[in-house]
Amino acid sequence: MAPYINLNEMEVGDMLPTFTKEPVTRIQLVRYAGASGDFNPLHTDDTVAQKAGLKGVIAQGLLVMGFVGQAITRWVPKRDLKRFKVRFKGMTFPGDTISVSATVTEKTAEGANLRIVCHTEARDQKGEIKLSGQFEVLYPMDKS
Amino acid sequence: MADKSKIGTKLPTYRLNVERVKIRELMAAIGDDNPIYLDKSRAIAEGYPDTPCPPTYITMAFQEFTGAYLKIFEMLAVPLENVLHGEEEYEYIGDIFPGDVLRCQMSCESIVEKQTRSGILDLITLQTIFTNQEDQTVLKARSLIIERVKV
Repeated sequence: MAPYINLNEMEVGDMLPTFTKEPVTRIQLVRYAGASGDFNPLHTDDTVAQKAGLKGVIAQGLLVMGFVGQAITRWVPKRDLKRFKVRFKGMTFPGDTISVSATVTEKTAEGANLRIVCHTEARDQKGEIKLSGQFEVLYPMDKS
Repeated sequence: MADKSKIGTKLPTYRLNVERVKIRELMAAIGDDNPIYLDKSRAIAEGYPDTPCPPTYITMAFQEFTGAYLKIFEMLAVPLENVLHGEEEYEYIGDIFPGDVLRCQMSCESIVEKQTRSGILDLITLQTIFTNQEDQTVLKARSLIIERVKV
């Protein structure tokens, strides 16, 4: 894995390197249902999804949040992550390729630490937004 | 329509055993191969006593394995088929490791009625506080659930 980003060197407005996932698969939705305990059939059964007016099964929003969580702790160590919030905005279908981006929105000194807030978004291959959110990192200033 | 007299009401506390195999299963489903969550020796090399839980691990504390969502929607008299998940937030206070036993306290923090062009929505905020076996609060979760109110 690539080393973590040195947030000390990032300024407000800077973007973190975009993280792109493999396309979402149907099997992945089944596996996520089993792993998380979200057995809503909208995520695994096309018949149910079509009755609800969808073209077919949709991904769990929390799976997409999981992709963002994966991106965040590739960027920064888990122990420095203090808060993570998302708003679910769009449906994700099997075959969609999700990219996670983040931009530094706040950087403030707090004792020997830096508090860094980033805005994050997950979008598909067409640029349609799936979720947006924020995460907050408390990062030792002397870390290099 | 959500029962607003239940604002502030808590569900009985429930337990969640943090299991290594469930963390692996979740990581495999997400497709996240970050070794600090999977390989104890790699986690130790980064200064953790064991593999910490990944950021969205706690999602499994609400659904099939605990029934917490079902119970609170029943308490609030909210029909499941009318709800959408609007927002999810985690505040990380301490690390969670395999073998931990978490005490989970879910409550209905607020219900706000919102009139929109397409009808009435109830915005239901649920909060869950997770405390480990050493009595340390390790995580706070907040879920915003949207109920489309059928009149």
